[in-house]
Amino acid sequence: MADADRGVFGLMGAAALMMPATVVVAADYLTIDAAQKSIFPSADSFEPFVFAITAEQRSTIAALAGAQPPHGALRVWKASKDGTPWGFVLLDEVIGRSDLITYAIGVAPDGALTPVEILSYRESHGAEIRNAAWRRQFANRHDLSELEFRTDIKNISGATLSSEHVTQGVRWLLALWATVLHQPPSHP
Amino acid sequence: MQLIATIRAPSLPRSALTFAIGALMSLPASAATQQELEAQLAGLAGEVATLKSELARVSQEQKNSMTALAAVPVQVIGETATPASSAGADSGLDFFGYGQVDYARPKDNPSDTTATVSRFVVGMSNQFDEKTRLVSELEIENAVSSADDPGEVEVEQLYIERSFDDRLFGKVGLFLIPSGLLNENHEPTRFYGVFRNRVETAIIPTTWREGGMLLQGSTDFGLRWDAGLTTGFDLSKWDPTSPEGKESPLGSIHQEMALAKASDMSGVFALNYTGIPGLRIGASIFSGDAAQGQLGFDDNVVTLWEAHGTWTPGRFEFAALYANGHISNTSKVNLTFIGNPTLIPESFYGWYGQAAYNLLDWDENSLRPFVRFERLNTASNYSDLSPGLTPENGPDQDIITSGVNFLFAQGVVLKADYQHFHGTGGSDQINFGMGYQF
Repeated sequence: MADADRGVFGLMGAAALMMPATVVVAADYLTIDAAQKSIFPSADSFEPFVFAITAEQRSTIAALAGAQPPHGALRVWKASKDGTPWGFVLLDEVIGRSDLITYAIGVAPDGALTPVEILSYRESHGAEIRNAAWRRQFANRHDLSELEFRTDIKNISGATLSSEHVTQGVRWLLALWATVLHQPPSHP
Repeated sequence: MQLIATIRAPSLPRSALTFAIGALMSLPASAATQQELEAQLAGLAGEVATLKSELARVSQEQKNSMTALAAVPVQVIGETATPASSAGADSGLDFFGYGQVDYARPKDNPSDTTATVSRFVVGMSNQFDEKTRLVSELEIENAVSSADDPGEVEVEQLYIERSFDDRLFGKVGLFLIPSGLLNENHEPTRFYGVFRNRVETAIIPTTWREGGMLLQGSTDFGLRWDAGLTTGFDLSKWDPTSPEGKESPLGSIHQEMALAKASDMSGVFALNYTGIPGLRIGASIFSGDAAQGQLGFDDNVVTLWEAHGTWTPGRFEFAALYANGHISNTSKVNLTFIGNPTLIPESFYGWYGQAAYNLLDWDENSLRPFVRFERLNTASNYSDLSPGLTPENGPDQDIITSGVNFLFAQGVVLKADYQHFHGTGGSDQINFGMGYQF
């Protein structure tokens, strides 16, 4: 065996040592239940929340949120503890580089955001978006002016599209909360 | 975007209507006079009419509500976005791409001015199941590819990717080597300057891809590692009569998996840390024998290592990279090339530092001036032959590039820059470019 070949197998051996001992086959990183509990650990109830948006509200949200990547599905739950409103959990999907990222974030009654939770990431490129430190950047921000990509929410070099698109998605969700969820319709 | 929600239809009006009709049918005829029955019937008919009206109103309300829900996010978001996926997420098939059109005008030799469609790339991915996907990219360089034209058609990527768990991916096929800052992020919207930097073109042969298999893992604290077994270089491709080896030593002997000689495989290992938002530091090493069992070549190990970092404090963006390449046992081969202009170097290197600033940022637009200094040497050392035969080491080449990237429309960029060359013998030049990615 040539020296180079020995070097190659040494590299592969080192990689093998870094692999997890048990490989668990799973496409998603978090279930919805786990994400809800991670976002609002104290809440004891997460009820699906149904709402409608008027054309005027749609325009307002679009203007507030700014440029958006293509989105997938949106789901909303109202969190509560002993019957007391605890905030909203919003689950959304945005395109990463070429595939959808499923993520969730919480908005407390005072408008404070929680860290982002990544439920599903479907491509290896840009997977750094799952870094805990990056996801924590969203916590305790209240206003859209505090959600500027690159200045407030830092870019991840090598995962630029994923980090930018999730940031833009969170802006849309906060605009939705401010426009619709925070001001529930007056009719019963 | 679809809004997944459920609306419970009010059931009271329909039940009440059924009940009223049932009550009407079951009235005891013998217990009332004809007149009383007619009065009761008239009253019930009125109630039925009221209930029908109420039912119609509720149904219309429900229909209106559903219409609003169905229309919510798709239209709102679609107003400001260009769909990235023409095939949609549900089908598993996605298309993507990027492209670049460039104009370069040498200051001292305007007759050498060129304009070209540098790259037109169409990518396709298909999600076979939740864990397995295909990624492919087909590239046309310089617009027209034929025996009489300068263009090329290339399969840039073609691999199957499998997610083993939430921290581990595997790739098999033709994929990009995780080396440097540019190779895996080479779309024109993602680098500064009309052209890719010279260090990550001449020293790291971007876009550099090899065939084989690769594992990619990551940790929650931001460390990503890549380890792979791949095809490598073929030193028997070295052409001592061509200047190509002086322009890019590895670029002249890479194989791009076009009937690549694969008797000697190479290994790649890379580490990248992004655990601190705004910071990325990393390094990689690629090594393997380029002799490929060819006559006259033996134990010609090519090793390329590099270290890199980026940092984005506020509106600033800094990047730096150092790369170093080495080819072993070149003397024996070079002795057969004596008399030719381009012998095989034993080592070559390059580094650069770059600073950019997000000067103006409004709506979807961003104006970012930048400056970059590069130093590289594609033949910094030759192995000893015999006195008088060993070539002189190549000169250090310095390149200063300053310009601006103007990004708009979520994936489109216009670029302009000025490049000053020192030690290359080349003329300064001004460049303009357009690029996109979706």
